Amino acid sequence: MAQGFRERSFFARNPHVLIFLACLGVFTLAATLMSEAMGTGALSTSFTKILGQTLCLCLVAIAMDLVWGFCGILSLGHFAFFGLGGYMIGMWLMYERTRLIVEPSLAGAALPPTPQEISDAIAGQIFGVVGTSELPLVWSFAGSLPIQLALVVLVPGLLALVFGWLAFRSRVTGVYLSILTQAMTLALALYLFQNESGLRGNNGLSGLQNIPHAGGVSQAWISLWFLWGSALALALGYLLAAWIVSGKFGSVIRGIRDDETRVRFLGYPVEVYKLFVFTLTAVIAGIAGALYYPQAGIINPAELAPIASIYLAVWVAIGGRGRIWGAVLGAAAVSLVSNWFTGGGAPDIRLPGYTISWVNWWQVLLGLGFVLITIFAPKGLAGLVDLITQRRVPDRHGADAGPDQSALREAEEGR
Amino acid sequence: MTILMRRLLALVLVCAATMAPAQESADIQSILQENRALIEASSRRTIGPAIDALRESGLDRAPEVMRRWQERELYLREADGVFVFGEETDDGLRVIDIATGEVIGEGPDDGYEEMRPNAGIRGLIQAAMVQFRLQDENAAQRARALDAVARSPEPEHLDLLRTVILDEPDPALRARMERLERLLTVQFGQSDAERVAAIEGFRGDIAREVRAALTPVLATRRTVAPEDAPAEGNVARELEPGTDALPEAEAYQMLVSAGLAPERIDREARRAALVANIEDGEVGGIPVAELDDQEMRDRAYATLAQAGAVPPTTLEEDRADLMGGYAFRDIHIEPSAEVTDAAAATMESIELTLRLHQWLDLGLDALSLASIYFLAAIGLAITFGVMGVINMAHGEFIMLGAFTGWLVQLVVPNYTISIVVALPLAFVVAFAAGVALERLVIRHLYHRPLETLLATFGISIAIQQIVKNVFGSQAKPLTAPDWLAGSWVVNDIVSISFIRIAIFGLALVFLGLLLFILNRTRLGLEVRAVTQNPRMAASMGINPDRINMLTFGLGSGIAGIAGVAIGLFAQVTSELGQNYIVQSFMTVVVGGVGNIWGTLAGATLIGLLQKGIESANPSNTLAAQTYMILFVILFIQFRPRGIVALRGRAAEA
Amino acid sequence: MSALLEVSDVSVAFDGFKAINHLSFSIGPAELRAVIGPNGAGKTTFMDIVTGKTRPDSGQVLWGEMSRSLTRMSEARIAREGIGRKFQRPTVFEDQSVEENLVMALKAQRGPLAAMFYRRNGEDMARVAELAREIRLETHLPRIAGELSHGQKQWLEIGMLLAQEPRLLLVDEPAAGMTPDERAHTTDILKEAARTRAVVVVEHDMEFVRRLDCRVTVLHEGSVLAEGSLDHVTANQRVIDVYLGR
Repeated sequence: MAQGFRERSFFARNPHVLIFLACLGVFTLAATLMSEAMGTGALSTSFTKILGQTLCLCLVAIAMDLVWGFCGILSLGHFAFFGLGGYMIGMWLMYERTRLIVEPSLAGAALPPTPQEISDAIAGQIFGVVGTSELPLVWSFAGSLPIQLALVVLVPGLLALVFGWLAFRSRVTGVYLSILTQAMTLALALYLFQNESGLRGNNGLSGLQNIPHAGGVSQAWISLWFLWGSALALALGYLLAAWIVSGKFGSVIRGIRDDETRVRFLGYPVEVYKLFVFTLTAVIAGIAGALYYPQAGIINPAELAPIASIYLAVWVAIGGRGRIWGAVLGAAAVSLVSNWFTGGGAPDIRLPGYTISWVNWWQVLLGLGFVLITIFAPKGLAGLVDLITQRRVPDRHGADAGPDQSALREAEEGR
Repeated sequence: MTILMRRLLALVLVCAATMAPAQESADIQSILQENRALIEASSRRTIGPAIDALRESGLDRAPEVMRRWQERELYLREADGVFVFGEETDDGLRVIDIATGEVIGEGPDDGYEEMRPNAGIRGLIQAAMVQFRLQDENAAQRARALDAVARSPEPEHLDLLRTVILDEPDPALRARMERLERLLTVQFGQSDAERVAAIEGFRGDIAREVRAALTPVLATRRTVAPEDAPAEGNVARELEPGTDALPEAEAYQMLVSAGLAPERIDREARRAALVANIEDGEVGGIPVAELDDQEMRDRAYATLAQAGAVPPTTLEEDRADLMGGYAFRDIHIEPSAEVTDAAAATMESIELTLRLHQWLDLGLDALSLASIYFLAAIGLAITFGVMGVINMAHGEFIMLGAFTGWLVQLVVPNYTISIVVALPLAFVVAFAAGVALERLVIRHLYHRPLETLLATFGISIAIQQIVKNVFGSQAKPLTAPDWLAGSWVVNDIVSISFIRIAIFGLALVFLGLLLFILNRTRLGLEVRAVTQNPRMAASMGINPDRINMLTFGLGSGIAGIAGVAIGLFAQVTSELGQNYIVQSFMTVVVGGVGNIWGTLAGATLIGLLQKGIESANPSNTLAAQTYMILFVILFIQFRPRGIVALRGRAAEA
Repeated sequence: MSALLEVSDVSVAFDGFKAINHLSFSIGPAELRAVIGPNGAGKTTFMDIVTGKTRPDSGQVLWGEMSRSLTRMSEARIAREGIGRKFQRPTVFEDQSVEENLVMALKAQRGPLAAMFYRRNGEDMARVAELAREIRLETHLPRIAGELSHGQKQWLEIGMLLAQEPRLLLVDEPAAGMTPDERAHTTDILKEAARTRAVVVVEHDMEFVRRLDCRVTVLHEGSVLAEGSLDHVTANQRVIDVYLGR
């Protein structure tokens, strides 16, 4: 055995990857065939967009699962990274579209416009709502798609890097870290709410569904493009995540989740690992956001509020932490069901004297349902699948599993 | 002479008929008659004795006469030379007897000559009227007159005040008069020395009226002159164009107004001028197609200007050179440098005192904010510190407390009683909610802190939505009783509202109460035992379940009380709690977990910080919160365990 | 014989309580040493200081031929320098298989990229198999560590320690909760390890210490009370007074 050792292939060790990719492929194909663009119209364009958005939410849920389910960092800031990605791409979409409208109108003027005039006119269009007509410094590169695409990755990545470095360096862990990430998210949202942020304050960026240079293409086709793009990104994200967690790296980060101190005494630089995972997942979240918001059409600071990041954690918890497909399952199920309820899809319940309208009561149902899942089914929907497939996974919260309670409290409180 | 005799006789007869007022009437009319020549001459230089005569007459009707005179309602009946009041009506004049105030005729104004006091005379009359009122027998009247003088001081008032001060019987009023006299001296004093003395007497006096008196002394006008010309007048300061005090555009505009520079024509206007001068696809010899560049446009404009087709202008870069050749100065309108120097020095000392007081005010504000944070966070600190449980629904307990307060007010209309009822009731409601949460949810999740966080979050959104569904989303009024409505005003700068004082008191009470419970009671002892070693505590017969339940209930109950307090000044909506939850967490984290003093320190720090940042940039509270959170994140770097950290092996193991 | 680890005049206090009080200690490159002492003698704190978990208030901890100071290094760095530690409680990664536990501990580059692109190879798996045999877990490799018995977890942790190939092993109560047979085997493993490296064993159980048959250091109130063979120290009157006499 010793010399003739050959590791089984990645796909053989992780059958769920192929199963997932197959499901995703079938889903995408079906959605495509049923879409309005293909003429069948079984799925409306707006619903196609919702499906595409759901795929993006699944991707950010994977990021959340990596950082929380595998590495044990309950980040309440990953939806902020998601939003930042959206803002970065939104800046280009908005700038370019405005430019395409403004330039021809200026070209008709008596004098050919100077670059300054063009930029002023664009700024006037975009920032009229916040009462300025000067292009803020952060929009310097808004005219360049490659740079804004790079920023989709760089801005969330750098923010995560700096914040993570500060937080992990001082060994803030557990709920402390969660609160700190929540604070970061709140600070970011509050910052964006100000007009001075240069991102249109609480108006946010809008009209993002209109893709520049695609004037002749119908929204039905654009929605399909984005569905494909989102599916591709989700597939790649899934592959990457599965690959990362399947090897020794995965072993180490799961070790960090369960007993950080022990990993440290094995000689692994725990902080570097955490920072790596935190930053990588922030980047994935940014990419997911950049794909999501052109489909949503609008982004504003409220999207980045801490509560959104908490919902993200809720999706992953409902789906089943520590398993990538669990995160995808949770995000897809909760966001689609939520759409159904809040979209008025669920029939109201008429009680004598009171009508339960699900548009209002869905939140209550979600909150209480989530509490029940946390208490009685910590493995989430994935646990249900386990029941069906009869696969036993040891409960890592079992009686004597892991460090005992006092050590745990130490881990939570940081040093 | 005979006329006079006749009139006297007539008056005596009237007098006999109309009793006492007639007696006076005779007097007032006669005083006017004595000064008739002066009144008719209507000259500021000579009118003095006439006004003095009226003023010194001490007659009841004198003020009325002066008022009417000043308002141009004093007429001379040409027929008999008697002074009357006249009110202009649509078809002439309503004639009124000056003594009785009775209408004695109405008709065309022929035969009546209006006395036309000019502005100077009206000023003198007004001053004289002020004196009347300053010497009124009624002290309240005198105080009101003093207010009027203080509101719009005139140079004449100074002498006047100096005369009336001596007779003023009321010591308080007299002090006010003396102060006002000094204030007036600052502006209207005769000699510079006198004014300087008065000005210096007000060092460090932050009253608004002092600043109002000093400001005109320090008023300046802005001048521009060639740089080599000597400065004229009492120079306040030299200005540099392009600084905050004198923006470039303003400086240039001064040059333009002084005719020293050509009109500034902005880009937009130049562009319009270019468009107007397009000839054969060219402007100033440059093809239109090439004008997509500012430099080319400037060149085309210069060509046009040379040809005289458009007014000349200067380009941005040339303006600085042009302005460099001139000196911009602020010149004091007050000519005496001695006075302005003294005023500037006094103003500076006032501003210093002012800033100290502003800090004091800020400190009070911060303290009251800190007490709110303390109240909001202390419950959290107990549950988090003692039980290691992070309760995201804590904010909702605050909200429940506020709603309890509102509901109580619906039933009990008396605000004072309703608050007294609401405080314990809010405690009970939140306590019950807390115990229910502990029993139903948290008990299952001990030692899984991250999941507790999420589960309580689930509870939080459920409670929030239920309250919204049941009570609607509009804000509910929770009104403070009247005796809490005012504020405690120390001076013009420092004041604090009674509600905030009450909340501060409430925070103190709870600080004391909690310290007492934790350090002096059996419950506190058991709580501390369970905190430090639950297994050992259990083996000594303490029921950790019961302690956990009570602790959690206590923490939640205090949140309910905090809710009533917060509801008194904030909007009571289902989202009320959300606005406080993050700050509460910050407070606990910054202060250090498991320690009441830590929470106090954290609340104080956060309150100070937030108010401090807000005062640095008052227009932007969002920015203040942003910076505060960034500060907290950085703070954790240096003190990961908070301000009051448990040290030693107990903390490490 | 130059020392591998030289702890000199180290003190540390928690809230005024001197946990370690002017402690000096040294051990050679291939030596087995037992550290004994009553509760609160500072045995665990001593290990904490060497492994970087606790920073001393004063004194020096020098390491290796180059005499580098350990007091400024992070825990992970010290571990990479070649100091392995086994905790009092068995702490293995219960969620992962025995094999994964051992692979994680194997001496290799510790950076995240190295871990990410690490692929299992014949050499490493042979080493894992050999270690598993040594700790009698060869048939348990695919099992989840959480399912192992207490003693097996202790062994797995010792195996992970050996997999790191440290130059100094700090072992805290390795025999706690073991059957006599298991103890004997643990003794063998430790003695074997001490042929090529330094091993410090903290133990309460005198019988176990006797079987280790090595130099013994007695700690009391944060400093060294006596040092020598077990017979030598047990003859020391002060040792008897503070420890054995109780």
